[in-house]
Amino acid sequence: MNPMRLLVFSLGLASAALVPASSGAGQDPDPSPQAEGPFSIGQPAPMQDVRMKSVSGTDISISEAAGTKGTLVIFTCNHCPWAKMWQGRIAAIGNAAMRRGIGVLAVNSNDPAAYAEDSFDEMKARAKKLGFKFPYVVDATSDVARAFGATHTPEAYLLDAQGNLVYHGGVDDNAREEKAVKAAWLRDAVDAVVTGKPIPLAETKAMGCSIKFHEKGSS
Amino acid sequence: MGMASTRRFASLLIVLVLAGCARHDAERAQVSGGAGPPIQPVTAQEILARVRAPGARATLVNVWATWCAPCREEFPGLLSVARGRARDGLRVMLISADFEDQLPAVRTFLAARAVSDTAYLKTGDEMQFINTLSPEWSGALPATFVYDGGGRLVAFWEGMADEARFQGAVDQAIAAIHSQGDARP
Repeated sequence: MNPMRLLVFSLGLASAALVPASSGAGQDPDPSPQAEGPFSIGQPAPMQDVRMKSVSGTDISISEAAGTKGTLVIFTCNHCPWAKMWQGRIAAIGNAAMRRGIGVLAVNSNDPAAYAEDSFDEMKARAKKLGFKFPYVVDATSDVARAFGATHTPEAYLLDAQGNLVYHGGVDDNAREEKAVKAAWLRDAVDAVVTGKPIPLAETKAMGCSIKFHEKGSS
Repeated sequence: MGMASTRRFASLLIVLVLAGCARHDAERAQVSGGAGPPIQPVTAQEILARVRAPGARATLVNVWATWCAPCREEFPGLLSVARGRARDGLRVMLISADFEDQLPAVRTFLAARAVSDTAYLKTGDEMQFINTLSPEWSGALPATFVYDGGGRLVAFWEGMADEARFQGAVDQAIAAIHSQGDARP
């Protein structure tokens, strides 16, 4: 710790509130978790047969999108700045995976009422602009995201040929600068599935935008 | 040069070096040059050290970013609780997950909301940052952690919260230390 930081830190401590309080009534914060997991490594993916509307115009389910070697389901969206930073890499990794026998499905679970940029028309435009060779679909109730336990975008789930989860997490370790990526988690996981090797890192984390879930029971 | 003057010179040198460091850090922190709180880079370990430091009866840590809509939306409720409970010993740490070159935007945002206490900028490895604060945290923003006066995590959630939720968690944290009978001054 440099001297200045130590000084600021000490000043911070000295200025912290020291006044005793009257009692505060204990109260449970409302937990209301949106995700209903757990769906963890080694387990079969839920809701594989639910059909979702794709930007291509046809409805498609996870099992219909599945490749011979596995399936990549990636929760993403248009509006999120993190998703935007990674979207070029999502397109590149997804398109490459498709060529190697991995089915790919990009899923938007956000309620477009919260973000106009996440509307179906905007999704069509984005998929075209990015050159997605895979379906970009609408999870119109957010139930697929809930069943997966997905919380934010982008968040990737890679399934093996049997539909079991082998990788869950982020795209890589540097949203901002692709050139500075040290660990290309998703690319390496796809590589491992295609070549039949063990996944280097099966669970990773990266920051992202909270999924704006549709109200429960919405259609 | 005598012993005494050598010592004086050495002291002067230390003072000058410290002043230099201070100026350097201050310049780094005052990117926009305008109003707004000082902003310090911070790792998750440093956040936890601060949380465990005495001097507060509860600490609320909120990780947010200027480009995160729900983060911006929940800010008024968060600040209302922060201000209302400061005299009860609530310490609040606002941790921006913006990139370093976005410091001016962070400062402008905080200045517009009259935040004057030191705020923080996430630094270091991101996955480590997330897991150190909580293995339960997926990385979704905003994320809120509420600790009691002993530094124990009493509430954590990710996603947007309203004022009542912040208030309830803070009340619970303050009550937690009370119930253990070791309330801090």
